[in-house]
Amino acid sequence: MRKFRRRGRVISTRLSAYEVTLLASLLTELIDALSQEGPSRPGPQPADAFEELAQELEPSAEEAVPEDPVLQRLFPSAYPDDPVAAAEFRRFTQRDLRTKKLDEARLVLDQVLQTAGGAHDLRITLNDADVWLRTLTSLRLAVAVRLGIRDAAAADAVSGLDESDPRAFLASVYDWLGFAEETLVLAL
Amino acid sequence: MVLVPETSGTVTPAGGTAVEERPLDEALTQTPWITIVWDDPVNLMSYVTHVFETYFGYPKAKAHKLMMLHTGGKAVVSSGTREEMERDVTAMHEYGLWATLDKTDA
Repeated sequence: MRKFRRRGRVISTRLSAYEVTLLASLLTELIDALSQEGPSRPGPQPADAFEELAQELEPSAEEAVPEDPVLQRLFPSAYPDDPVAAAEFRRFTQRDLRTKKLDEARLVLDQVLQTAGGAHDLRITLNDADVWLRTLTSLRLAVAVRLGIRDAAAADAVSGLDESDPRAFLASVYDWLGFAEETLVLAL
Repeated sequence: MVLVPETSGTVTPAGGTAVEERPLDEALTQTPWITIVWDDPVNLMSYVTHVFETYFGYPKAKAHKLMMLHTGGKAVVSSGTREEMERDVTAMHEYGLWATLDKTDA
């Protein structure tokens, strides 16, 4: 792809058919991950009052720390030293945050698909620029988790991978997303 | 939204009623809470600066300075009431930044 360029209130670039497929597939994976239900509540009716109480005390899906490491990074703990406050915060915010990320990823996917496989320019209005930036960030964070990028040293190691390394493809995807996001920010 | 995790649902040893509100002294303190953004190896410097400019409305120079501070480990990006800081932390999580809130030592 070329750098994003801004003209008036529209930022645009042209994607290849391959890039459209790649981006659509990454977005679909993100949408699937965000659509996962949390740990489900016990289904059967409680046998007695004690069991009922035990079920009520079970943390609900929205206050539990997600099991998927990608979701753990997308929904970090607001209170790392206070598990009670952290769970309470999740209970009040996580559902909305998840919905927002989902809605934004769907909007981005829709705009990617509107290029008709890259036949038309990808056009992003200034109003949608932050939606795009947040979603590209989610994609980069998700790929980074899969590449094991936990610190600067790991990030450097990934940027210098040999082509024969099994992670080389994912690393090239990570670079590509970084290029897209960087040029989008600079075009603003 | 006000969260009251410390007191919600607690029962005093004497069997008194649980108090569903934040202790008064905390509510009266002007700016006891801060939002911290931690360094992470993924987010682009240009993007982090953009977020600080866009969300907080900081001038570019201040946003850039905070971004540089954060690359050294962490940066305190805002302070205010607990409710305000929870809003800021939520916004930072929307942007994919690694943010937490904490009480100031003051």
